[in-house]
Amino acid sequence: MTTRKLVFTDTSLCTGCKACSVACKAWNDLPPEKTDFVTSYQVQKETTAKTWTYISFHEKFANGKMTMRMFKHQCYHCADPSCMKACSSDAIYKTESGYTLIDHDKCIGCGYCVSSCPWEVPMVDPETKKSYKCTGCIDRVENGMLPACAFTCQPGAIQFGEYNEMIKKARIRLAEVLEFYPNANLYGEKLMGGTNYVYLLLDKPDTYGLPKNPSTPWSLTLWKSVIHPLGGVAIGAAALAVIAGVASNAALGNYRAKKENAENSHMEGGE
Amino acid sequence: MTNSWQDMQNTACFLIAGSNCAENHPIAMKWINKARAKGAKVIVVDPRFTRTASQADIFAQIRPGTDIAYLGAMIKYIIDNREYDEKYLKNFTNAYYKVSKDYKFEDGFFSGFNEETRKYDTSTWGYQLGADRKPIIADNLEDPDTVFSKLKEHYSRYTMELAEKITGMPVEKILEITETFCRIRPGSFLYALGMTQHTTAVQGIRAYAIIQLLLGNIGKAGGSVQALRGEPNVQGSTDMANLISNLPGYIPYPTNAQNTLADFQLKHGSAQYKPMVALLKAWFGDNATAANDYCYDLIPKTNPANSPTFVQMYKKMGEQFKLMFSVGSNSLISIPDCSVVGPAYDKLEMMVVVDIFETETAQFWRRPGMSPADCPTEVIFLPAAFVYEKAGSMTNSSRLIQWKEAALEPLNGCMPDLDIIDEVFRKVRDLYAGSTDPKDAAILKSRWDYGHVADPLKVLQELNGYDETTGQLLPNLAGYLNGAIGTVSTGCWQYAGVTGAGTNFAARRGDADDSGLRLDRNFAYAWPGNIRVLYNRASCDENGQPLDPERALIWWDPVLGEWTGNDGPDVVDKTKGPDTPEGKQAFRFNPEGAGRLFTAAYTSYPDAAAVIPTRSAGMTVDGPMPEFFEPTESPTENILHPKVSKNPVAPVISEIIGSSEEYPYVLTTYGVTEHFCAGGITRNIPYLNEIMPQPFAEISTKLAYKLGIKEGDKVEVSSARGKVVVHAMVTERIQSYKVNGKDAETIGMPWSWGFAGLSPGPSTNNLTMSSLDPGAGTPEYKCCLVNIRRA
Amino acid sequence: MEVTRRGFLKLVGGISVVTFATGLGIDAAAAETKGYALKLEGCIKIPSICHFCSGGCSLLLYIKNGKLVHLEGDPDSPINEGTLCSKASSLEQVAYAEHRPKTPLYRAPGSDQWESITWEDAYERIARKTKEVRDKTWVSTEEVTGADGIKKTVTVNRAEGIGVIGSAEIDNEESYLLSKFSRLIGTPYHEHQARI
Repeated sequence: MTTRKLVFTDTSLCTGCKACSVACKAWNDLPPEKTDFVTSYQVQKETTAKTWTYISFHEKFANGKMTMRMFKHQCYHCADPSCMKACSSDAIYKTESGYTLIDHDKCIGCGYCVSSCPWEVPMVDPETKKSYKCTGCIDRVENGMLPACAFTCQPGAIQFGEYNEMIKKARIRLAEVLEFYPNANLYGEKLMGGTNYVYLLLDKPDTYGLPKNPSTPWSLTLWKSVIHPLGGVAIGAAALAVIAGVASNAALGNYRAKKENAENSHMEGGE
Repeated sequence: MTNSWQDMQNTACFLIAGSNCAENHPIAMKWINKARAKGAKVIVVDPRFTRTASQADIFAQIRPGTDIAYLGAMIKYIIDNREYDEKYLKNFTNAYYKVSKDYKFEDGFFSGFNEETRKYDTSTWGYQLGADRKPIIADNLEDPDTVFSKLKEHYSRYTMELAEKITGMPVEKILEITETFCRIRPGSFLYALGMTQHTTAVQGIRAYAIIQLLLGNIGKAGGSVQALRGEPNVQGSTDMANLISNLPGYIPYPTNAQNTLADFQLKHGSAQYKPMVALLKAWFGDNATAANDYCYDLIPKTNPANSPTFVQMYKKMGEQFKLMFSVGSNSLISIPDCSVVGPAYDKLEMMVVVDIFETETAQFWRRPGMSPADCPTEVIFLPAAFVYEKAGSMTNSSRLIQWKEAALEPLNGCMPDLDIIDEVFRKVRDLYAGSTDPKDAAILKSRWDYGHVADPLKVLQELNGYDETTGQLLPNLAGYLNGAIGTVSTGCWQYAGVTGAGTNFAARRGDADDSGLRLDRNFAYAWPGNIRVLYNRASCDENGQPLDPERALIWWDPVLGEWTGNDGPDVVDKTKGPDTPEGKQAFRFNPEGAGRLFTAAYTSYPDAAAVIPTRSAGMTVDGPMPEFFEPTESPTENILHPKVSKNPVAPVISEIIGSSEEYPYVLTTYGVTEHFCAGGITRNIPYLNEIMPQPFAEISTKLAYKLGIKEGDKVEVSSARGKVVVHAMVTERIQSYKVNGKDAETIGMPWSWGFAGLSPGPSTNNLTMSSLDPGAGTPEYKCCLVNIRRA
Repeated sequence: MEVTRRGFLKLVGGISVVTFATGLGIDAAAAETKGYALKLEGCIKIPSICHFCSGGCSLLLYIKNGKLVHLEGDPDSPINEGTLCSKASSLEQVAYAEHRPKTPLYRAPGSDQWESITWEDAYERIARKTKEVRDKTWVSTEEVTGADGIKKTVTVNRAEGIGVIGSAEIDNEESYLLSKFSRLIGTPYHEHQARI
C-alpha cells in the first residue's frame, strides 16, 4: 500500500543554485521561458504552467549582518487543498501518497484552482487551456525514485521520505536551529490540513514573501459541499461566491505580498 | 586538491577564500554540509557576500587582491601566540633549516633583484649547507637563522591593524577568523580563481601552504589546501602539459640551453631524467635508443627569450604565428583586455577552431564592429562531439582519473577531438612521407598508432606505459618506478598504472570503503598510485602511528615491516620505517623531503661528490615568502612600501593603465552558478539562459544612491581599456568600505557573455587588466579600476 | 483593488464558456489505477561525466533506441551520489541542440559567411597549411650563449609559425594527443585555459 510521503526543504541549506528548477524541467519536459531579473539572482517570479518550481531570493542587511535566504516555490500538496474544492470539473484529486494532482483529461481550464490556492501555484496554460503545477514527480515516486528536485539537490536541502520519518527529522532540525534563529519555524506542517511539502524557515514566513496564514476561502466549502452538487446551473452564483471568498481571504493577509513590495523591499534601506 | 571532495566531510573548519564553491563548484556543498552536520564551521572571505557566504558562520568582505595582507596577519598571530604545531614543524617542514646569510628583504625587495631585467636572481634564497651539501638544521626554532625566524621577522610588520587598513576587513573580524581557524582543527582552505587571478597569485597560495604547515593541517583527513580547479579536465590537461613550460608529467620543458639529454639531466636532476626518457620511449618507441639520446634531439627546444604564455601569444600573432589551432577554448571572451584578441587573429593566415558550438572565437571575423571583408584569415571550424558522445577519461580536481564509455552517437556526424587530432596528424605525416630532411624526423619516427579509428583506450594505455622489452602494459606505478631507464615507457608518469595490465582502473566503479573516511579507493583511480590524501605520512607521529585515530589514513606496521593503512601511503619507500631518513619524509617531491615554509633555492644530490643532482626545488620567482603588493590598478598605494607598490616582477601586458582619479572603483569579475566560463556551452543551453538571462553589475546601495542608479537600470561600466553596458543589480551583498582610511567601493561583474550563441551579451573582459602573475602567468582578472554611470 | 496578480477578472470572464461541471467528487482509486508510467521504461543506462567544473560528478544517461530520453546524476558515483547542479542538470539540452553545426565550416579570406565543407576537405586543407607554415617558419638551429659566456649553435627544431591553444574541456587522451601532436610537428607554443 502506498504511504504518505513528505518533501522536507531545509532552507538553511539552500544555496539558490536553481538545480531543482532545471531538474524539474528536464524530467517533466517543460520548455524554458523568457525571464528577466526580479530581484537579486531571482529571475522567475511565479510558478507557471511551464515552470513548476523556482527559487526566490531574499536579501537583508541588518545590524551589520547580511543574510541571503532562498526559498523553493512549488505546489505544497495540501492535505486539504482548496484547489481541489474549487475545481469545477473534479479534475483535481489526492493520492494515497499525499500528492494533489490534476487530471488533464478532466481539467477544463476554468482557473478556479488558480485563484483559490493561497500560494497561487497552479496556472492555466493559455494554449492547452489546462491547469498545470508540480506533480510531486508522482511517476518517479510511484516507481521508487526520488522526486527530480530532491534527487538533484547537492547541498541536501531538499529531502524526501516517508511522512512520519521526515516530519520527525524536520522537527529535530527545527529544534537545532531555534537556538540560533529564534523565529525559525516549520512552514506547512499545520497549514491547509498539513502540506506534503514542508519547509524549515529561519525567519518568519513574510521574510520569504509567504502568506502568514494560508487558508481555504470560506466560500469554497460552500461551493463544494452545497452548491456544486446541484450541477452546472449554479455556476454563476458559485463564481461570485468564490470571488467573494478569495477577496475576503486576501483582506485577511492570506496571500503572498504583492510583487512590487516583495521585490523592492531591500531597496528601502539603501542610504 | 591535496584531498578529495568526499574528504571535505572530515574537515572541522573551512576557510573558503577565493572560492565561491556554492555557485561554481556546487558539489562541494554536499560534502561541506556533511561536515557541518557534525559541527564544522564555515568561514568565507570574499569581495562580495556570495551564495557561499549565505552558508557561512563567519563572513568578511575583503578588498579584491589584498588577501596576503590578512593572511600575513594570520601568520603573525599564529607565531606570536604559539598556535603552531611545533612537532609537525620539526618532523615535516623546513622550519628549523638555516637560511643563507645573504638572504635579505628590504624596502619591498627581496635580495637578488635585477633592476634591468626586473627579475630575481634566487641564489641568495638558499640554505646554509653542510659539507655533505645538505641543509644545516638548527636545534632551536628560535635560532636567528632558521626559516621560522625569517618567517617571524618577515610577518612582524603584518599587524591586524595594518591588515584592516589594506583589506577593509575590521580587525575584530580578522581576529575572529584567525582564532577560529587556529582553534578548530583539522582545517581546510578552499580556493579557486579568486586566489589565482592576481599578480600575487602564487604567493597568496603560498600563504595558505604556510598557514597549513604551521597549524599541521596538511596530509591529514580533513586538513588540506583544496584548489577547486576550474574546468572538467583542467587537472588532466595540465598533467598532459598543454603548457609551454612543461612536457607531460610536469617534466620541465627543455630549453635551448639543454641541448642534450645530459644537459637536461644536469639541469633538472635524475628525478626528471627518468620520466623524460620514459616519455621519449612513448613518443618514439624503438627509434628511441640510448645511442641516439632517445631522440631527445627531435623535441623542439624553447628559447627562454621567446616563450609566450597564453596571454602573451596575442602580441605575436601574424608576426610569428601564421597558423593557430584553437581546440575547445573561447579566447575571444576569456582573455583579459579581450579587445586585442580579434585583431590578433585577423593577422593569421589560418585559424582552425574545434568546438561544440560556433563560439565567438570561431566567428572572430564577424565580431561586432568588424567588417569581415577586412579579415584576410582563412577559418576552418570543426564541430566536435560532446563529452557523452565519446569514450575517454577525465581527471577531476582530486586527481581522480575517471573513464566513461560513449553513451550516444555524436550528433550530425560531429567528431571526437581525438579523431580530429589523429586524422590531422596522419594527414600531415602522409605529406612528409619519404622525406629524409632531419626536420621531418620527429613526425616520421614517432610512434603514433591508435588504430584505423583512434581508440582512446590505446591512448590511455600509452599513458599507463609499457615494458618496452616485452611490449606488456605496466601493471602499476611500481612497474614504472622500478623499471630500468630506457626499458619502460609512459606518456605521463603520474598516470603509470592507470589501466594496469588487464583492468582499466579508471573505469572501476566499486563502492566498498571500510575507512569510514570516504576515501572511496575502489572507485576510479587517483594519481599518484591511487593515493587519495597527499602527504598522508604527515598524519602520523614520529613512530609512524596515526595522530588522530578517528582519522587514521596510514600507519607503519612493524610486524609486516611496511607502511599500510586505509589510504595508499604517500612515502618514498613502503618498506622504509619511520626511523629511517626516507620514512620520515612527508613531502617526497621536494628536494629536502620537507614542507617548505620558505621556498629556498635548493638542489639535492645523491652524495657530496655527485655531479648530477637528484632534484631541484620548484621556485617562486617573486620571493621566498609571500609579500603583499597592490594590484596593477589600485585605488591606493602600498602602505608597507609605497615605492614598491606593485609586484615588481609581474609582467604588464595591457598598454593602458587607468588612474583612480578617473576610475575610482574596484571591479572584480567572476562566474555565476548558472553559466560556465566563457559561456560557449552554457549560453547555448536554453534552460541555463532561462535561469540567468543576462550579465549584470553588482553595486552597493550606497554607491547606487550616490550615482542615482536604481535596480534594473542600464549602467555603463568603463575602464581605461573599454566599456560595457549591463543591468544594474543594486545589493547590500557588497558594502562600502574603507581602504587606508578612505571610502572605497567594489563593483562585481560576471564575465560569461559574448556576442554569439542563444543568449548574447557584453563581454566583461573588455574592461579587465592584462597583467600576470610572474610565476604562473595567470592574469589579474580579479581586480582593475572602473567607473560606472547610468547609461 | 487587485486581488491577485494573476488577473482574477479574466478568470470570471472565462466562466461563461464553462458549460458543465461533473459533480462526481473525488475518486482517488480511479486516478491511481491510471498508473504512472515511467518514461524511463525500456531504457539502458550509461554513465558519463559532467562537462563543467572539476567536480567530476557522474551523469547517468537513459537511452532508448540510441536516443537520449533523460539525463540525471548517477547515484553510483561516490562523488555526487546522484546529485547534480543546475548546469549539469541541463546537459540533455546539448544532445540534440538544433544549432550544433552539421558539417565542418570554411570561411574564405574576406568572406562574410561560412560554407559547408566535407571532413575530408577540412583535414586536407589543415594538413597542407600545417606543412606549408611548418616548412616556411622552421628554425632548426639557433645561437645561444652558455653560462661560460661562449656562444654556440644548437639544434632547436621549432616550427616557429604554428601556435596551439589546447583545452581543459576535452578528455585526457585528447589532451595528451594534442600535446604530443604539437611537439611532434615542432611547436612548443602550446597553451590553454589552465594558464588563465
